[in-house]
Amino acid sequence: MNFFKRQWMVPYLFLAPALIGTIAFKLYPIFIGFWESLIYTSFSGGAEKRIFVWFENYQYLFDDKIFWKSLEITAFLTIIINPLQIAMSLGLALLLMRKSKFIRIIRSLYLLPIGIALPIATIIWGLMLDPNQGLINGLIGVFGIPPQPFLVSENQALWCIIAIATWKGVAFWMLFLLAGLEDIPKQYYEAAEIDGATPFQKFRYVTIPQLKRTILFVFVADTAANFVLMVPMIILTKGGPLQSTNVLIYEGYRSGFYYQDWGRSLSIITILTVITLIVIGLQLLFLSEKNEGIKVK
Amino acid sequence: MHFKRQWSVYLWYLIIFIGLIITILPFWWGVAASFKSNSQIFRDLAPISHKAFLPGFSLDSYFAIFENDFGRSMLNTFFVSITSVAGGLLINSMAGFAFAQFRFKGDNIIFGFVLLSFAVPADAIAIPLFKMMRQIGWFDTFYALIIPMLANGLIIFLYRQFFLGIPKELIEAARVDGLSWFGVFWRICLPLSVPVTLGAGLLLFVFQWESYLWPLIAAPSPELHLIQVTLGRFSTEYEMIWNQQFAASSIAGFLPLVFIYMFQKQFVSALTGVEQK
Repeated sequence: MNFFKRQWMVPYLFLAPALIGTIAFKLYPIFIGFWESLIYTSFSGGAEKRIFVWFENYQYLFDDKIFWKSLEITAFLTIIINPLQIAMSLGLALLLMRKSKFIRIIRSLYLLPIGIALPIATIIWGLMLDPNQGLINGLIGVFGIPPQPFLVSENQALWCIIAIATWKGVAFWMLFLLAGLEDIPKQYYEAAEIDGATPFQKFRYVTIPQLKRTILFVFVADTAANFVLMVPMIILTKGGPLQSTNVLIYEGYRSGFYYQDWGRSLSIITILTVITLIVIGLQLLFLSEKNEGIKVK
Repeated sequence: MHFKRQWSVYLWYLIIFIGLIITILPFWWGVAASFKSNSQIFRDLAPISHKAFLPGFSLDSYFAIFENDFGRSMLNTFFVSITSVAGGLLINSMAGFAFAQFRFKGDNIIFGFVLLSFAVPADAIAIPLFKMMRQIGWFDTFYALIIPMLANGLIIFLYRQFFLGIPKELIEAARVDGLSWFGVFWRICLPLSVPVTLGAGLLLFVFQWESYLWPLIAAPSPELHLIQVTLGRFSTEYEMIWNQQFAASSIAGFLPLVFIYMFQKQFVSALTGVEQK
């Protein structure tokens, strides 16, 4: 206990375990990832040899069709999935703000997917979407729609993964929006009503400005989460069919763990990290600036 | 006017109802099918009949998965989750205490780093972290599963916010009475923080219970498999044995669901930072 007599050390001692953990296992790996992306490992002659090659791994990547295809799929997925999830979460949150006798139980039921881990959701949806015996093909058959190939089709697989991730994700993001909506003072709506605002005007001029910070947070966090979405690819599609679900994070994972090409793997991860930071930076820049000036509080 | 109002209520119920079906259908079907034999599942599906949604009465699939090492991975997951929750709560609450109680050199910068670490998605650093574990010899051990997951910026933040609300007079009085700083933290602040600890502990538990990629790559030995990894393995190895996949999913999904529903209030306020009314 003599330690604690030295006043200036006290805060650092309290901080030390968590700080060491954060630096060693959260921040340092980013640095390692970049450093290792500059190294080429050769296995010639049985011995592992590590050679520092500057940006050669990146050069190979930029000449690689698979990488560009993967980047394209990642871009497509990002553009579709994030606005879709935000719009659906917001829509659901607004629906669940309505007063009803059953609202508590309805809300609880809608939160169910939060409690289910993504691997479980993926496995069950994988069985539901089975082309031969799946439940979905059975159900749409009732309406006379022919069986669909779903996850084994080049054109449908990515959409199926979007659907699975959205089923799992919407409830989670909705939770934040619901909390944000409940924080908006009722008087604002009453004032708008006295001024004769239509429901749409109330949404546009009260809800949206008041909810802006929550929406921004959800948008940024959701984007970051979806850049590393790969569980459905690992369990169901392996990036296929015909690379149609081969997003960057999965290509990085596969290069390392299937082909032992760590230089390539970590170059991809580094590029993905940089892209993520840029996209999130842009979101913060463009979406938070407009908030100034019309702030009420 | 009256008619129009009614109409919008019906529309609301219709949309809510359709949404609920989509939300619940996978659960319902999965749990119902986990109590059937494999051939029964397929018979109910082709051609599809209402029986697909009625639960069966067989427990065979549940017995079968426990013969397939499922019990082992559940025990592993319990062990890893409990140690991660205990360790994580301790070190993150200490850090939160430091940020709330003291002004010290570099506090803002360090706090910034902590928040930044929270923004780094775990799956993006999984591969470099994997290489690091191999270098320090933790690869394929419980250390790799537990220790890197302990420090958590979100949990530090939650504790800091809570400790900021504890009256300074209380802490000063305790100091005057001769309590050490660790005593202040351990005997006064921590016992007061039950609501945060519940929410934060639940978050840490759920993070650990649901993690898939990290346990998959960091500890490939079957003796170290965690529940989600075993589940993923089932889905490829027993591709055609649907009832076992459903049974394993039902068990793996059940526990977090129960906890989240028991502590829904604390869970939601820990996540969203908004006190639930």
